[in-house]
Amino acid sequence: MSDTPVDAEEVRHVAELARVNLDEDEVEEFATQFADILDYFDALDEVPEVDAEPDLVNVMRSDEVRDCLDQSEALENASDAEDGFFKGPRVS
Amino acid sequence: MTAKALSQRDLATVIGLEVHVQLETDTKIFCGCSTDAAEDEEPNTRTCPVCLGLPGALPVLNEGAVEAAVKVGKALNATVAEHTRFHRKNYYYPDLPKNFQITQYDAPICAEGTLEVSVEGERRDIGIERAHLEEDPGSLQHKGGSIDTADYTLVNYNRAGTPLMEIVTKPDFRSPQETRAFLAKLEEVLEYLGIFDATRDGSLRIDANISMVPAENVGDDGAISDETLAEANRTEVKNISSHKGAEKALAYEVTRQKNAISRGRAVEQETRHWDESRGITVSMRSKEEEKDYRYFREADLPPLEVADWKEKIAIPELPDARRERFREEYGLDAESASKLTSTKEVADFYEDVAEQFDPDLAATWVADNLLGELNYRDMQITDVSHRLDEFTRLVELVAEGSITTKNAEEVVLRGMLDDGDAPDDIVDREGLGAADDDEVVTAVAEAIEENPDAVEDYHAGEGGAVNFLVGQVMQKTGGSADPGDVNQMLREKLDE
Repeated sequence: MSDTPVDAEEVRHVAELARVNLDEDEVEEFATQFADILDYFDALDEVPEVDAEPDLVNVMRSDEVRDCLDQSEALENASDAEDGFFKGPRVS
Repeated sequence: MTAKALSQRDLATVIGLEVHVQLETDTKIFCGCSTDAAEDEEPNTRTCPVCLGLPGALPVLNEGAVEAAVKVGKALNATVAEHTRFHRKNYYYPDLPKNFQITQYDAPICAEGTLEVSVEGERRDIGIERAHLEEDPGSLQHKGGSIDTADYTLVNYNRAGTPLMEIVTKPDFRSPQETRAFLAKLEEVLEYLGIFDATRDGSLRIDANISMVPAENVGDDGAISDETLAEANRTEVKNISSHKGAEKALAYEVTRQKNAISRGRAVEQETRHWDESRGITVSMRSKEEEKDYRYFREADLPPLEVADWKEKIAIPELPDARRERFREEYGLDAESASKLTSTKEVADFYEDVAEQFDPDLAATWVADNLLGELNYRDMQITDVSHRLDEFTRLVELVAEGSITTKNAEEVVLRGMLDDGDAPDDIVDREGLGAADDDEVVTAVAEAIEENPDAVEDYHAGEGGAVNFLVGQVMQKTGGSADPGDVNQMLREKLDE
């Protein structure tokens, strides 16, 4: 088990940060699931250390313009669009 | 802040700035999309899978953005980190298609610098805490109302991924005026570095932290202890977009906080939004705390080790140094040197002209005449960049005496700016070529012949008489003779 069990308050906070509405049943359900997921991470402690590959550094590209997508390609996956913009709900 | 009411003059202002500047590169920071925003461009026409945050797309860092950051570090006398890396800042808002912003967190590329500013003759060093690279978000339009009441949101990702540098100062400002001076100076330096375009919309965005501390806790050198700072409640003012705006927003906030404290109320620690049109700051609903951003390493970008670039990458002579050199090398006064170094383009042009002609003549023509006439027309040197050789030619015409100073200023320069004509064309068209000596000699003889009364007055010792005769000669030569020369010629002739 993880050291600190996940309580309902924490689930609500994370959901709020992700702008996701959860009802009370879902909060309970996710609290249990979060705890399970954190347990999986504990399994990583059991993995033996291996020699790491040397890290890459300074991977860069030159400042040269490449082709972009055109507007219709850019919007192809959008669920809604208007006048070439992505369209979404109010976000205050 | 203690609840004890302090009178307004017992309070000292403390301000720190976070300045976001867009770096002038050709492409975005993590992809090859162009950063060149046409004024009337269509939305979402400069995007790709990387800056749209499509699954599986991988960022690759733009070397040009790193070079620009190193230049900033060098200009601010900052250290360039031996080892620097990127982090993800997680927040859910549609200006970021990935739901996180790639930025720098615990290892910024630049740290511990300074920038010297001068306010009302007093020089002050403003400390730079850090300067880091990050990506600009996209832009939103709230349709059908204000941000709170809109029906829906439209999103344009053309700006998303533009390289930004966030420059964070120490809480070293003691007045709103100082912030304005600092921002103007910072813009000047960044323009000299050739990595910033102040005319680009949104190229400079500022957040300011401001608080009041008891004046007695401020040392004679302006130093304030960490303890005093920690005790004061501060507000963060967002949405400032110019140096003038910074001064106005912070002056408003100084008054608001001082009023609250002098009435015995505490200043609430909060984020406030500068409403430029109303000239006030308004409370914003509190956003996430730092831990809510859940920063973690950006595993798709390997770390950077570019401390040695500081030696390799050259930066041009900066404005302060250039001003000083102009005074020494060309013997200019402080005001001319300051005008002539106001932008790199003006300074470069001045040096070009000063090398070919007399530095004083060049200073008068560039600082007073050209900049003066441009200013009168609400124009910038950048509006005439492509015609600078024509102005050089104009100075040449004056220097070699082909036209008079008066005609050069009043006819040729104005014609060049108003009608876009070349100087030689204006001289030919208006017949301004300086009168040749024969013509002047004839005019002098005629003037003496035709005005015996004036000649008599001259011999009687009336000083005004010669001025009258000069006027006659100028009229005869259509203003193309040099009045000083004419005066001398008349006296010589009359004294014979």
